[in-house]
Amino acid sequence: MFRFQSLDDDCTLEEEDDGLIEEEDEIDQFNDDTFGAGAIDDDWQEEHKRLAELDERVGLGGGEVEGEVDSGGSKPGSSIHRPSSSVNPPLQSSLPPFGFSSSSPGLPPQDADDRAREGGLAESLARLILEADPAIAGVGAAERPRPSPSSSASSLSVLHSLDQPRVLPQSSSIPHQRQPQLPPGPITSGLPSSSMLSYQQQQQLLRRGTAPMGQMNSHNIWDNSMSFGPVSVSPGLVTHMEDSPLMSIIKEGGLPKRPPQGRSDEGRDLSERVPPPRSSSPVIGSPPVRAVPIGTPPKQPMSHSLNHQVAGFPRGGPAPLLPGGGFRPFFGGPPPPHGHRMCPPPPHGPPSHIPVRHNTTHLHPQHRRMLTQRMQSRGGDRGRTGGDRSSRDPYSNLMTQKEKEWVTKIQMMQLQSTDPYLDDYYYQNYYEKMEKRQDKERDISSNSKKEHATKLITPQVAKVEHTYRPVQFAGSLGKLTVSSVNNPRKMIDAVLTTRSDDEEKREKQVWNKRRQILYTVEKMYSLLLEVQDFEKRFVQTPEEEREALLEQHKTNTEQLSSSLMEKEWDHRVSDELCVMIMSVRKGKRLVARLLPFLPSSQAAAVVMAIARNLPALAKKDKQDQVLGWLVEPLSPVIQSLSSSALTDLLQELQGGEGQLAVVLQNKFGVTMLYLILSEGERMQSCDPNCQLMDDNRWTELVFSVTRELLSVPASSLSPPLFTPPNLLSLFSRYVDRQRLELLQDKLQISASSR
Amino acid sequence: MNYVPGTASLIDDIDKKHLVLLRDGRTLIGYLRSIDQFANLVFHQTVERIHVGKKFGDIPRGIFIVRGENVVLLGEIDVDKPCDTVLQQVSIEEILEEQRQQQQTKQETEKVKMQVLKDRGLSIPKADNMDEY
Repeated sequence: MFRFQSLDDDCTLEEEDDGLIEEEDEIDQFNDDTFGAGAIDDDWQEEHKRLAELDERVGLGGGEVEGEVDSGGSKPGSSIHRPSSSVNPPLQSSLPPFGFSSSSPGLPPQDADDRAREGGLAESLARLILEADPAIAGVGAAERPRPSPSSSASSLSVLHSLDQPRVLPQSSSIPHQRQPQLPPGPITSGLPSSSMLSYQQQQQLLRRGTAPMGQMNSHNIWDNSMSFGPVSVSPGLVTHMEDSPLMSIIKEGGLPKRPPQGRSDEGRDLSERVPPPRSSSPVIGSPPVRAVPIGTPPKQPMSHSLNHQVAGFPRGGPAPLLPGGGFRPFFGGPPPPHGHRMCPPPPHGPPSHIPVRHNTTHLHPQHRRMLTQRMQSRGGDRGRTGGDRSSRDPYSNLMTQKEKEWVTKIQMMQLQSTDPYLDDYYYQNYYEKMEKRQDKERDISSNSKKEHATKLITPQVAKVEHTYRPVQFAGSLGKLTVSSVNNPRKMIDAVLTTRSDDEEKREKQVWNKRRQILYTVEKMYSLLLEVQDFEKRFVQTPEEEREALLEQHKTNTEQLSSSLMEKEWDHRVSDELCVMIMSVRKGKRLVARLLPFLPSSQAAAVVMAIARNLPALAKKDKQDQVLGWLVEPLSPVIQSLSSSALTDLLQELQGGEGQLAVVLQNKFGVTMLYLILSEGERMQSCDPNCQLMDDNRWTELVFSVTRELLSVPASSLSPPLFTPPNLLSLFSRYVDRQRLELLQDKLQISASSR
Repeated sequence: MNYVPGTASLIDDIDKKHLVLLRDGRTLIGYLRSIDQFANLVFHQTVERIHVGKKFGDIPRGIFIVRGENVVLLGEIDVDKPCDTVLQQVSIEEILEEQRQQQQTKQETEKVKMQVLKDRGLSIPKADNMDEY
């Protein structure tokens, strides 16, 4: 965690620089890393040096864990004050809502003095209202003028600022010192005017955010380190205190001396130091940095009278800063209810026993009461012991108040709830029940006192729609190249363009067609699969449903068979369709699987179509060479053909001019031819009633086949997938001896061939 | 209980002496100086305390930053309460020696056990506690 000091170390006394600093801050509030004093980080280095020296001096031997005695009074580092330059800025902190007149930069000390008195109160009020970060110590010179995050938190700083006027005259040595210190004013110059002191006390009591502050008011650093201010203390009250917390603390801790003496001062309380604030530059696009994180408990109003006045402002002040807007109900309310409720008891009690203030608006009042009691009791126990220890712990408060609040903010964010009943059911219910119980008891005991039953205010975070608008500067070219988790930036401006190329179109058409074919094939496949699975399912279904299944099966098969048919002719397979389907590998597979399921007439028709279109199919199959799949289903079909059908088939196969030649070139074609011939032969030889020879067609066809077979060169004749055995006998029937021998050689068929 | 009533927060534990047990079994004692939303801890003047039997030894470690996910438990030490009289503090060398011996005996017993199991044909796979693989 980085801590940047936002004040230029080198800029000491110069009043004229104040304006400059102010201006600097106005330029770019968020960017004090680069522009502002945040860039200068001397302080942490010095801090480190100091602490390191402290370490050396004390020694870390023996695992000495106990906090070191501040033998180190080494450096009076705990107070961080830039004495001189801080005079005017705080006083002239222009806080528009209040319309305080800002003093001119080069204010002479005595004016500052007066101003301190009159302006200080308002100023402190203003700071209070703006819920300043308590950790930003008086470095505040540069920071003070900044409306939102500035304002010194620690009372010390306030103290210093007010002390300045008195200190200045003596501050000849102050400009020389690099270390911020609590100027010895109040002590060395004797007790200041009581009004001044009381005013200071007021300030302390106001600013209770930090441990140092806590110290001021009580011995118990631990108790009050996180506590939030006392309840309002009326100014008048404080004046009476002679044995003021301030004085007691000063006596106890000892005011930091000037550097020459201070370093060896044993009594120095180094934990009074408040480290410099962190940088507050945000990442563009992320929620704006709040110096006062959401969830910061509010500071306490000074008095009853001021409560109302004060109450108005938190809404006005933090509200614009709220990034989501959702927390408004949360934090808009704190001061008044607090003030009203808690004002009476504590402040008049012993000053060392300050009750812890919580941001407890959203708590059930009972819960709040319990918490307070708990804190009080705990505080009482530890009050004595804690104080000594803390005064000796030089390393305390390495984690600044701001940082603590930051962590708390993150934790608080998890408590946001649009639906408390959903998110924290048990909490809500528990307190509801308790309330009911108490009401009951109260009713039993007394009849009135309904006013005590306060309504439970549950925190509701309004669902605010955030529309992100990218950060833009006027006059810049376009949008910033910054993206965060909330606004992921579009990296590519992709625009769809359609290509109007002719070739593209054609190609596209081809692809479309293919897609169409595949689609058809798929559809048919799904039908086929249903049909194929029918039997399996039939066996499994119970009796009642078998009929329905059967019906469905019938429909399926019909659909399947009709899918191949032409639209007008019921009995003719659509060539186009057939070829289309068979042009893809899957289609061929489909037909192969399909054939057994078709009724014989349709199967025959399909086979016819295949024969008819064989050249085209052969051409399409050149790459895949999968027509062979068809052989197996084809043979039973062929074998079941009637003689006339067979003849027709052979005729189809021979088709037009030169078809047979093409057929012979194709393996499948040859196989098919052989199959047909073989079947014919079988028919002739086995079946005496065969009508194959009834007309001359068969004979003629066979003659033409043999002629073709003989004429075709051997090289172009592709070997079939298998050779039926009876071919020889077939040929012997039709051709003479010589030709037979030739055929034999060519086709490599022999009497004993398989 | 500070800023966020009804919840738990480490904010109140800052600047107090704590004892933290880490996932790798180490015990650290130190002043908790800083935290963040992941419960990453910054310890100051840290001491690693090794316990072997009734003895313990402290090794000063300086400043420790512990990643939140490795914290098993964390508790505040009350410095006022009297120290445990049962435990006896020894020097670093001694405690390290004791620890080494303890590790050794443990390994030996483990080895013997594995051997016995193997002889009986059983095997108990070693629990893989390592995050790296």
